[in-house]
Amino acid sequence: MAKRMGRASRRAVLGGIAGTIGASTLAAIQPLRAAPSGKPIRVGSTLALTGPLAQTSLIHKAVGEIYVSLLNKKDGFLGRPVEWILLDDQSKPDVARSLYEKLITVDKVDLVIGPYATGNILAAMGVAQRYQKMLIQHTFGLPHLAKYEMQFPASPIGPEPNKSAPLPIFDLLQASKTPPKTIAVVASKFPSTHFIAQGARAEAEKRKIKEVLYLEYEFGTRDWGPLAARVKDANPDFVYCGALGVESVQLLEAMKKIDYTPPRHYHLFTAPGPLMLAAEGNNALAYTYFEEHPPFTTRPGAAEMIPLYREKAKELRIPYPFFDFQAAASATAWQLLEASIKGTNSIDDKKMAAWLKANTVDAMIGKLTFNGPNNHGPDQSKVRQVIDKKWVVVWPAEFAGAKANLP
Amino acid sequence: MPSFNLLAQAFVSGVLIGGLYGLLGLGLTLSWGLLHLINIAYFGLAFLSAYLTYHLGTVYHWSPWYSALVLVPLFFVFGAGLHWALARLRVSGLVSLLVTFGFIVVIEAAIQLVWTADFRRYELPYSTASTKLGPVYIPLLELVAFALAAALAFTAWAGLRWSYFGKAVRASAEDPAIAAAFGIDHRTNALLIAGVCAASAAIAGVFIALTTTLAPAQMFSWFGVVFAVVIIGGLGNPLGALVAGVLIGVAEALTVTVTNQPWAPVVAFSLLIALMIWQPRWL
Amino acid sequence: MALTRTCYAAPAAAAIAALALFLLPAARPAAFYESFLYILFYWIALATSWNILSGYAHYLSFGHGAFFGAGVYTTATLTTKFSIPFLWTIPAAAAVAALLAAGIGAVVFRLHRLRGDLFALLTLAVAFVLSSIILNTPIDGGPGVYLSAVPLPNLGSPTATIYLLGLILAVIAVAAAYFVAHSRLGLGLFAIHDDEDVAQVKGVPTFRYKMIAFAISAGIAGAVGAVHAMYVSYVTVGETFNITVPLYVVLMSILGGMRHWLGPAVGAALIGASLFAFTGGAEATIGRAVVAVGLVAVILLLPEGVVPTLLRQAKRWLRIRGRPPALAAAPLPAQSTPRVQHAAPGVPLLACTGVEKSFGGIRALRGVSLELKRGEILGLVGPNGSGKTTLINVVSGQYRLDGGRIVLEGRQIGRSDAHRIAALGIARTYQIPRPFWHMTALENVVLAGTFGRADHQRSTIRAEAQHWLEFAGLGAHRDHLPAELNLHERKFLELARALAAHPILLMLDEVLAGLTPSEVANALALIRRIRDAGTTILFVEHNMRAVLELSDRLVVLNYGQVIAAGAPRDVVRNPEVVSAYLGAAHA
Repeated sequence: MAKRMGRASRRAVLGGIAGTIGASTLAAIQPLRAAPSGKPIRVGSTLALTGPLAQTSLIHKAVGEIYVSLLNKKDGFLGRPVEWILLDDQSKPDVARSLYEKLITVDKVDLVIGPYATGNILAAMGVAQRYQKMLIQHTFGLPHLAKYEMQFPASPIGPEPNKSAPLPIFDLLQASKTPPKTIAVVASKFPSTHFIAQGARAEAEKRKIKEVLYLEYEFGTRDWGPLAARVKDANPDFVYCGALGVESVQLLEAMKKIDYTPPRHYHLFTAPGPLMLAAEGNNALAYTYFEEHPPFTTRPGAAEMIPLYREKAKELRIPYPFFDFQAAASATAWQLLEASIKGTNSIDDKKMAAWLKANTVDAMIGKLTFNGPNNHGPDQSKVRQVIDKKWVVVWPAEFAGAKANLP
Repeated sequence: MPSFNLLAQAFVSGVLIGGLYGLLGLGLTLSWGLLHLINIAYFGLAFLSAYLTYHLGTVYHWSPWYSALVLVPLFFVFGAGLHWALARLRVSGLVSLLVTFGFIVVIEAAIQLVWTADFRRYELPYSTASTKLGPVYIPLLELVAFALAAALAFTAWAGLRWSYFGKAVRASAEDPAIAAAFGIDHRTNALLIAGVCAASAAIAGVFIALTTTLAPAQMFSWFGVVFAVVIIGGLGNPLGALVAGVLIGVAEALTVTVTNQPWAPVVAFSLLIALMIWQPRWL
Repeated sequence: MALTRTCYAAPAAAAIAALALFLLPAARPAAFYESFLYILFYWIALATSWNILSGYAHYLSFGHGAFFGAGVYTTATLTTKFSIPFLWTIPAAAAVAALLAAGIGAVVFRLHRLRGDLFALLTLAVAFVLSSIILNTPIDGGPGVYLSAVPLPNLGSPTATIYLLGLILAVIAVAAAYFVAHSRLGLGLFAIHDDEDVAQVKGVPTFRYKMIAFAISAGIAGAVGAVHAMYVSYVTVGETFNITVPLYVVLMSILGGMRHWLGPAVGAALIGASLFAFTGGAEATIGRAVVAVGLVAVILLLPEGVVPTLLRQAKRWLRIRGRPPALAAAPLPAQSTPRVQHAAPGVPLLACTGVEKSFGGIRALRGVSLELKRGEILGLVGPNGSGKTTLINVVSGQYRLDGGRIVLEGRQIGRSDAHRIAALGIARTYQIPRPFWHMTALENVVLAGTFGRADHQRSTIRAEAQHWLEFAGLGAHRDHLPAELNLHERKFLELARALAAHPILLMLDEVLAGLTPSEVANALALIRRIRDAGTTILFVEHNMRAVLELSDRLVVLNYGQVIAAGAPRDVVRNPEVVSAYLGAAHA
């Protein structure tokens, strides 16, 4: 059954009526404005609520629910309440495909937004294309495959992340006092991480950093000892880890066990919580767009969203309740949807898509444009570092919350 | 050519992960070989034990060793109870595979409800401690896990081979009716075996909690390799499962020293296929 | 369980259902329904195909994902790298998967020790190896293969196309399962399921049948992979080779019932649909648990699987309303008399010369030479462990001959496979009866009649089998499973099964042991009738009185050697025989 946010909004409507009748205390708490009314606008999506991708979907679910409740406290979409129909794709692309078909052809939702993870988004994109629904997605890692003209990325990864994503980290390292002379690249054979890690290798070569080791490993590797031993054996100045989820922590722990700490190490799509709190995670560098400090926290919606998210995370017993780029990307997807509805004053997919292509949206994750190849704007990725058990952006300088700690 | 140090380090790593395979495979091999139940519930029980260890450790600040002292008897009783129910419902053979699969899905759901799908990490001061033997580092937790796995496997093996109880259990596995005619109480023996299986899963779980970062769906990722280990080792042979685990672990680890890790399964399992076709005597 | 009984209700219902489903896209349903049904078809085809080898013959494969994956990547490669139209890649994917299976089978099925668990392990290992090779070579290499640009033939709409392709594959799979189950192949596979050695001795070409079943099974899985590659349109090694396919096909088949052609399809539909039962965001986690508990409840209530249990219930219900018509106790058709023997008189029917057989260091047969004359009853006696049963096992081809020659009617048969020897007209019984436990008495005999002789006719085989059952005094037990028979009835079932092959040589291994005196008398009369009908008999027995009464000649084995041969009365007076064999009794 669908998650129905509409109920709450109906209660809000009644509350609104009560307020106008004269309960002044209520009016004082709730700013008096026209509560959304009428037939709800239904937004459909799936998330990997069960299965191997469920960790991250937890964040997207929490952010989405907060966003929709905030919308319904304001004036919804076009004055109508918003209802989010969220289904569980079980972390499987084939299930995601049929559930998007269900959302569009059976539930007949007004709008769709993307699921979580590259494979599932691609499955959803095919359906959206067939029914000409606009699809805003937050976490698609292979932009060259996003060929549908009405898909829009909420994460500013740029059209060629393999070329652009490695730049900030190499810029940071080269600006340091002791630029690395040798590099070891360790890459998960997972499509998006593998793809970007290849770009990092090319970039290292371009900058004349000698690659002393290139190692691949399979998604789901259990024995990290031999991998760690090879990195130690190669003794590089810098380890580039094209890792996913907790792989970084596992690798660093395995290194620690053979008494090795890489001098500098960078992690691509790592699960931020475990790495941040692990002893081995100290000084770890990683990929990001958004962290919980200025200037990011002053961006549209951030101040309002972050405390609510913390509360929600506590309620959901999420063990790492901080707001990083996954959460920001998720919120941005909703912001893009809201902006395109407001901008066109309609929920017509084609009009909204045309509006997004033509405009710049000042969103939580940054100022986004969609006029590049496959609707991607420029890459806005940054480098963050664990400093005192907290993630802080350290590059580029204008976004930095602290100076990078580079031994 | 990789250095000797690297090879030795990889070898140690492979041996130690093999211990974990053997430990996880112990329950499956005993119940498959001796009770004729393809009981995959032990994967779920191991993860349940891991989450409980994590919970007791992080919320109540219990040492994992105290937790183990509590969990092992608890799981023993639980395992025996589960077996009692399965026997009562006359579940056997392939049907047990389906029933116990249903069981682990329920465990997975319960874990996700209680601990959410997010990662859980249990860090202790000695999580990454290791000792040095010549140039080779030996991680302590893994070493303890291996020692326990080996002790457990050897005890189970020796017990089955030499004790009256072991002979009775093997006789019952061979032909329950005849064994019963000789006065062997198969039901009680089976409950004991099932209890030991679940207790070994509890121990495996403690080490999974200490050496990995937990997520509910991870329990499924151990299926393939542990199944392989159990069958190579010979169903019902706890020592065989350990040896097979070490064999696969070492083959994979050594592959990583000379080439890329994704080739490791090719090497390990091609070796396995070749061994089976060539058939050395111990297989 | 009645495997071969023709019952047209179920296939007819399945065919009508399939026809209705073919017409569904014309009604322009919402795309989701097509997509949802496609996923059911996908599982039906996969589970049903798995069951053709693994269920029927009980060769459990944990590697069905490998064949599915081979299909996925064949289509992914051919469409994207070689621009071959998608539809052409479906047969190619099926062929690649079937060839892979044939390659595995060619090695594995020859090795006796790789039966059972080790077969399961080997298929699991092959899946690991295949997925790693694809991951590490340009076939995929890691980034996955993207098929959205591959044109899909238009059969109404993209979902309708996928739907129809899925339906076609499901129909092909179920039809294949049905026809295999009702053919010689299926009969052979069911016999392999129960006892592979006996199956081969009864004439089932086990190697070939397993190969065919494996190739069909894998080929369908490969074709399913081809269509599914287009359905997901982005294939990765992680998704393609994960645990889901190999695990779920097993679970679905168990749930539906592995010995029925429709079982896996029903199991697949149930599990496949239940995966969609709780997709709502609020209760996804609980939903999974509820589905799991539901499945467990179903299998506990119907432990043989949904289809067989329900069918049995239905049959019980029908039986109350009237027994099914009995097979006419047919008089023997003309061709069912023993094979015409045309060789010149004087030439022995069977000649063993210097036959050797060792097990490890133990020489069980040390140069045994003996002859069987046409139409005689040759008694073969000797103390326990003297090699009598081993000789039967060697002659019937169950054991490989280590040395010497065995010649049947001038033809060397010593190194032939057991099923070829059976086809030449040698049949045997087992000392401890080894019936096919999941087949009724009649089906046991039908199997022997079908495979034991080259000239069998399908139309008369059941009537003939009924005849042999009655000949052996088991007419009333036609529909009973061997477990419901007592020892002496099982021994007669062995006999009926051997006779159904119309052997020219029948080897009886201690048929009299354990029978009461009056049963022995019946049995002796029966054996004489068999011989009088023209069959030559090798008679291994401990019951000396019976041997002396029945045998035309006697051969005595001791420690794997012939120590005496000749007329029974003479042989028993031979001092060597007396001391070796009868010594204790006459001392």
